[in-house]
Amino acid sequence: MVIHDVIVIGAGLAGMRAAVELAEAGLDVAIVTKVHPIRSHSVAAQGGINAAMNKADSWKDHMYDTAKGSDFLGDQDAIEVLCKEAPENIKELERMGAIFNRDDKGNIAQRAFGGAGYARTCYLADRTGHSMLHIIFEQVIARGICRYNEWHVVEVIVEDGVARGVIAIELLTGKLHRLHAKAVLLATGGYGRVFSASTNALSSTGDGMSLALRAGAPLMDMEFVQFHPTTLKRTGILMTEGARGEGGYLINANGDRFMHKYAPNKLELASRDVVSRAEQEEIDAGFGDDGCVFLDLRHLGEKKISEKLPQIRDLAIKFEGVDPVKDPIPVKPGAHYSMGGIMTDIDGKTPIKGLFAAGESACLSVHGANRLGGNSLLEAVVFGRRVGRGVAKFAKTAKLYPFPEDALKNAAHGIALLMNREVGESASKIVDGVRKAMQKHCGIYRDKKSLEEGLAKVRQLAAKLDEIALVDTGDIFNTEMINVLELGHIVEISEAMLLGALNREESRGSHSRSDFPTRDDENWLKHTLVYLEDGKFRVDYKGVSITRFQPEERKY
Amino acid sequence: MRQVIKFKIKRFDPMGAEGNAPYWQAYNVKLDHGMTVLEALLKIEKNDDPTLSFRRSCRSAICGSCAIMINGTSKLACHTQIAPEFEKHGEMVIGPLDNYQVLKDMIVDFTPFWMKMERVKPYLVPKKEPKGGWVITNEDTKVIDASQKCIMCGSCNGACNSQEIDEGYIGPSASAKAWRFVGDIREGDKRLRLDRISQEHGIWDCVRCVSCTEVCPKDVAPMTAIEKLREEALAEGLDDNPGAKHALALVDSVKRVGRLDEATMTFKTLGFLRSLGMIPFGLKMQMHGKMPHPILFPAIGKLDEVRGIYKARERQRKNERKKKG
Ligand SMILES: Cc1cc2nc3c(=O)[nH]c(=O)nc-3n(C[C@H](O)[C@H](O)[C@H](O)COP(=O)(O)OP(=O)(O)OC[C@H]3O[C@@H](n4cnc5c(N)ncnc54)[C@H](O)[C@@H]3O)c2cc1C
Ligand code: SF4
Ligand code: SF4
Ligand code: FES
Repeated sequence: MVIHDVIVIGAGLAGMRAAVELAEAGLDVAIVTKVHPIRSHSVAAQGGINAAMNKADSWKDHMYDTAKGSDFLGDQDAIEVLCKEAPENIKELERMGAIFNRDDKGNIAQRAFGGAGYARTCYLADRTGHSMLHIIFEQVIARGICRYNEWHVVEVIVEDGVARGVIAIELLTGKLHRLHAKAVLLATGGYGRVFSASTNALSSTGDGMSLALRAGAPLMDMEFVQFHPTTLKRTGILMTEGARGEGGYLINANGDRFMHKYAPNKLELASRDVVSRAEQEEIDAGFGDDGCVFLDLRHLGEKKISEKLPQIRDLAIKFEGVDPVKDPIPVKPGAHYSMGGIMTDIDGKTPIKGLFAAGESACLSVHGANRLGGNSLLEAVVFGRRVGRGVAKFAKTAKLYPFPEDALKNAAHGIALLMNREVGESASKIVDGVRKAMQKHCGIYRDKKSLEEGLAKVRQLAAKLDEIALVDTGDIFNTEMINVLELGHIVEISEAMLLGALNREESRGSHSRSDFPTRDDENWLKHTLVYLEDGKFRVDYKGVSITRFQPEERKY
Repeated sequence: MRQVIKFKIKRFDPMGAEGNAPYWQAYNVKLDHGMTVLEALLKIEKNDDPTLSFRRSCRSAICGSCAIMINGTSKLACHTQIAPEFEKHGEMVIGPLDNYQVLKDMIVDFTPFWMKMERVKPYLVPKKEPKGGWVITNEDTKVIDASQKCIMCGSCNGACNSQEIDEGYIGPSASAKAWRFVGDIREGDKRLRLDRISQEHGIWDCVRCVSCTEVCPKDVAPMTAIEKLREEALAEGLDDNPGAKHALALVDSVKRVGRLDEATMTFKTLGFLRSLGMIPFGLKMQMHGKMPHPILFPAIGKLDEVRGIYKARERQRKNERKKKG
């Protein structure tokens, strides 16, 4: 057994930013991550990070845009922190070594992003996340922070309402390890891979959320999933919103721009839920091409495309066989971001003592029913830092409670059951079934009947989890076993999402019920909470923090 | 009808029935339009053989997880389309990256890779910030833009000739990382960094074979970074090491006799006693079929021809190896 003051699960932007803060506070912090830190999905963020840096802009405007973007479900006390601390965090990143694109005067350049009243997205070409993740990793190395790379956490250990640490599998050896600590911080990223078409990495299976759920913490607003309007036809790979920010158009199969019908003012730069629905409507009305519309960059010219969007060009050519300089790119909406997550307060605390969450796996909530582009890298950084500081404060005075005797034995027993089953179900069939069901029943448009069908399908598949048999029974890099563990998370998260979606009888942000097409503030201006108790899900609700901006009709 | 392509995959499982020896296994994959090698591997894992191990995550050429050997070249599986690759080579031969210890199937041990990265002190050590903060222009960062693009996939180290004969060689990827800081106008500790990589196993051990630059999926051009580091190191006066001495001696020799005077050079570089110690290394190089000339200045007119010779030799060597094994 190893002992640290604090264990951070996840080495994305949020987890590593928090770890840096914990190390600064003089604590013994360790990072556990299932992929090497720089392979974390933050690396794929393309377009940029928001901050009101310019005198003509202000954090209040940023806050208003974010609250409006969230369809007023975002907690405004948290949004205020996000927007106020943004510029300072950008400068701090720069001091750590980050490089951003510059304007002619040498100031940090900013591009326009959807749903924003001002061009406030800082960027490095179209690989902002890559640059930032590497920078934070460098800071982790500089501080000699302990890392358990390619260790897959299988359980968060909680006893008597207090987090005690985690159990993780070391992929290289297949060994189970106990990691004992005063505090555990979950920063495991999103759940895009619950769907069959997603921009997310194959590793974005929402592990931390269901680990927290199993440990007794509630999940919040899980029904809110962002569908990004521009993902590649075949692979679902993202074409950044920055492409539209730089002036790109959306056109239908007839070659006509269509956003004026749906968002007369902001056009292509309306918020993502609005643009994705517009695309879906075009496609459903017969103006699509094989389920797609097109992202047209041709008028930007080769020079601008190569300078500002080089990766986009490479990805479109390599993965879709289309050179955006010459042809429009076929795109469709795809699951992209998890607004929901582990319920925390503004300091990342969950209701379980010693258990914290940050980043995409947490739900504070700053994004409410719909996230604005460029706000989640920001969340990961701002709240990574803030939650890191909060955890440090906690851990400095907290006691190290004993690690339960039988925890390891129980975990080992579970794995052994799986490994030793001679005949049974194939995991890949189940995962395909769940993803298909989610895609069909919990997508952009939802209704009661379809959601109920989806829930029935997912429950049916969930029942088969205990019958899975493995082909690979080896110890070393047993990726089949990892796939099964991830499937367990996918199934639980799916059920929580479907329940939230089924109960919420209104349309708000990304959640569009065709049977309840309008927003209903009277009954539904509240957060959904989902608990898992004795193997059963329970739904509850919680109020929204509204400080500066009263809900109003959302028009773009 | 969809084409079916045979994938020949080099497998290895130290705990498996085949014991400690790698073996080949073939799988048929039905080709979808635009399919990548990673997609094929995922398909095999799902439909044919879940015991196959390989790293993957972003599937969009940015996380650096999936570098493997594809038809003898290190490449990202997710960034390689099967159809053109198959058309070019007439086969699909897949295996773990060269120059790394294989742990299982396509999973290789990256520990030395990360240790080399740490050797170059891979983080900014900032100079004192000017009053009012740094003003940086796009021009300022242009020189390090390429090295900043590195995704640490390790393809380059897998293709590196110096790395092949000297496991301890700092390698192209870590060198590119070093340049990312040395070339940063805010960096305050470039001398220490340069000093570290000027020693044995450092930047002077690069034989300029261009392989790293050729295989890099992100156009990082590590060899160019190494050239810049060498220039910087000499400019900093860091010439009290065998590599730099060798380079300076070379310039001296060309100046003096109009050609390379190898014997004198070794002597100048290492001193008499240590130059005797060079003999086994020279022999080792011979056995590997190459004698490196750490040519410093790209002033040579026909550099392409020199590179051509290296490449021809490299091809020959690969063929020899194929025949052997
Ligand atoms: C393609 C794409 C582009 C994007 N572009 C932008 C953008 O331009 N601007 C913006 O603001 N946002 C963008 N986003 C969103 C943003 O990138 C993410 O929300 C953010 O990076 C999430 O960071 P994170 O630290 O919370 O999680 P991640 O970076 O996803 O990290 C998760 C970590 O958890 C670890 N982990 C997970 N499960 C386990 C387990 N069981 N055991 C151990 N470790 C585990 C993983 O190894 C990983 O280290 C984009 C997202 C995508 C998918
Ligand atoms: S330099 Fe290129 S090949 Fe080498 S690790 Fe970086 S991205 Fe990969
Ligand atoms: S050019 Fe140098 S660093 Fe690059 S592969 Fe050749 S020997 Fe290695
Ligand atoms: S899977 Fe990320 S680089 Fe290939």
